[in-house]
Amino acid sequence: MSSLEISGICKSFGTTEVLKNIDISIDSGDFLVLVGPSGCGKSTLLNMIAGLDTITSGDIVIDAEVVNDVRPSQRDIAMVFQSYALYPNMNVAKNISFGLEMRKMPKAEREQRVKKVAKLLQMEPLLNRKPSQLSGGQRQRVAMGRALVREPKIFLFDEPLSNLDAKLRVDMRTEIKKLHQRLCSTIVYVTHDQIEAMTLATKIAVMKDGILQQLGTPNEVYYNPSNLFVASFMGSPSMNLLSAEVGKQEGGLAVRIRQESGNEIMLPLPEVASYRQWVGKTVTLGIRPEAITDPGSAESGSSLLFNADCMIDVTEPTGAELYAIMELNEREVVARMRANCDVQAGQTTNVTFNMQHALLFDPETENRIA
Amino acid sequence: MAEMTRYDDSGARFWRVALYTTLIVFAVFYLLPLFVMLVTSFKSLDEIRQGNMLALPVQWTIEPWLKAWGTACVGLTCEGIHGYFWNSIKMVVPAVTISTILGALNGYVLTKWRFRGHKWIFALMLFGCFIPFQIVLIPMSQVLGKLGIAGDTAGLVLVHVTYGIGFSTLFFRNYYEAFPNELVKAAMIDGAGFFRIFWRIMLPSSGPIIVVTVIWQFTNIWNDFLFGASFAAGEGAPMTVALNNLVSSSTGVKEYNVHMAAAVIAAFPTLLVYVVAGRYFVRGLMAGSVKG
Repeated sequence: MSSLEISGICKSFGTTEVLKNIDISIDSGDFLVLVGPSGCGKSTLLNMIAGLDTITSGDIVIDAEVVNDVRPSQRDIAMVFQSYALYPNMNVAKNISFGLEMRKMPKAEREQRVKKVAKLLQMEPLLNRKPSQLSGGQRQRVAMGRALVREPKIFLFDEPLSNLDAKLRVDMRTEIKKLHQRLCSTIVYVTHDQIEAMTLATKIAVMKDGILQQLGTPNEVYYNPSNLFVASFMGSPSMNLLSAEVGKQEGGLAVRIRQESGNEIMLPLPEVASYRQWVGKTVTLGIRPEAITDPGSAESGSSLLFNADCMIDVTEPTGAELYAIMELNEREVVARMRANCDVQAGQTTNVTFNMQHALLFDPETENRIA
Repeated sequence: MAEMTRYDDSGARFWRVALYTTLIVFAVFYLLPLFVMLVTSFKSLDEIRQGNMLALPVQWTIEPWLKAWGTACVGLTCEGIHGYFWNSIKMVVPAVTISTILGALNGYVLTKWRFRGHKWIFALMLFGCFIPFQIVLIPMSQVLGKLGIAGDTAGLVLVHVTYGIGFSTLFFRNYYEAFPNELVKAAMIDGAGFFRIFWRIMLPSSGPIIVVTVIWQFTNIWNDFLFGASFAAGEGAPMTVALNNLVSSSTGVKEYNVHMAAAVIAAFPTLLVYVVAGRYFVRGLMAGSVKG
């Protein structure tokens, strides 16, 4: 188990810069998730860690050793691919032991290791099958087995769950997390799915257009996003963003919100020193759907609750909860409510705004005002 | 349901009958020469002189076959064509093997280990497929002369390998183009090197395209006449050249039955290859053509 340091990594293909000065470092046992929309460079970065892609500038350091010019097979890493990349001509046992065979491990030991991994992943009955005879979930398991059997310093996962159906994806996600907890291995995991990132990671690196937007724990990224992109990318349904003017009121600052009916409400802001400079100016207010809810579900410990009657345009019941959509400052806003609360489209209902986790962003730079 | 699908289909049936009739007529027409060859090869010369080409032999005899194989005169020697048959085998087997292996290696490099200018290299190899044989005869004979393998089976092998690489590279490149890159990456991380990946991962999945290449190369090289006639003389000549000599050189009576038997022997290996591996041929030709 080992640490990984990515420092000042740049990558360009010809004149196009794919990665710009990426700095990430994780400790042994960390689960780093690289997340971002497609084309953000996350897979390229993973390939560079693996040694499958060359580095334009910067260093990749595994366990205090710069590995820029070390071959993939010598870096002591194992990788799980999106397509699983199982060798079609070999059965499952051969697939798993191929890497060990290449490393000239004696046959008896190889067989023992394969058995151990097969037991860990509960795929003993599959060992003699060819990949073409396996289901998607089973192939996924074999691909993980092939990585686990090597007992490498670092595991690399390249969108391993995106070819599975929704139900299986959730199961495998839990399984990966369990494995990580059990083996305490160092993992770098690439996904475009922010839920996977939140559930699995001990550290999340949010990327966009080849630039690292934020590196932090899931909570930091979720509650203290560094800019508008991170704020809107993490969380589902995504954060409500409205432009609003900061004003003063009795007891502190507030943002001015105009409802569909033309009514104005002042939503109180948490006490942050730098907010004062923005009085009278327009900012982008970010408020998560779960912070707008029916009074019964509001976080009782919060000191910044504000009630207002709001007109609900549409309701979307999901079973577990109900999304109510309303209009504030001419923008659609999603509120997340209890499933059985009495809210109907076209009617006015009392809504609680929990402003404790509300965030303000500079509309020019899109950075969070903190 | 069955009742509902039973509609008046006499028109469709008419066209079906017409279609099959046409196909059968053409198939018979196409197979006629082969039929005449076989029938003639089992007749005695007297029977042939009676002139009924399409008739079955009255008296079946394998004498012409034995003669063609063992005692017929080709040029000045009268030892039949069997020596030349082995010449062809000695030429075809190494030429097919080498050009297939080189083609596979080329395809592997051109798709999985790309380098700057790989497109140009491939374009030039493709271009090589379309160079007419006649153009290279003189430069080729000079090269063979300098290498000291002119008039030798080794020389013919070299010529056919050189000519075959273009096509075999084309086949393998297109096949490997659709072969997932992630498999190669996985093998690299697993610690396999260039040749190990080729041998353990790529080749075992290349069955269909190997069959295509082998059939293609085998047929072309076995049937080649021009290179054989130009670069291999006398005793070293391949089957096709010997057949020509047999048919054109005989003094006295033209032994049509012997000629026909020799021609069937000459065509036999390619027929055999088709019958054994033919069903993979179409499958392999189609594979990889969808993408890339």
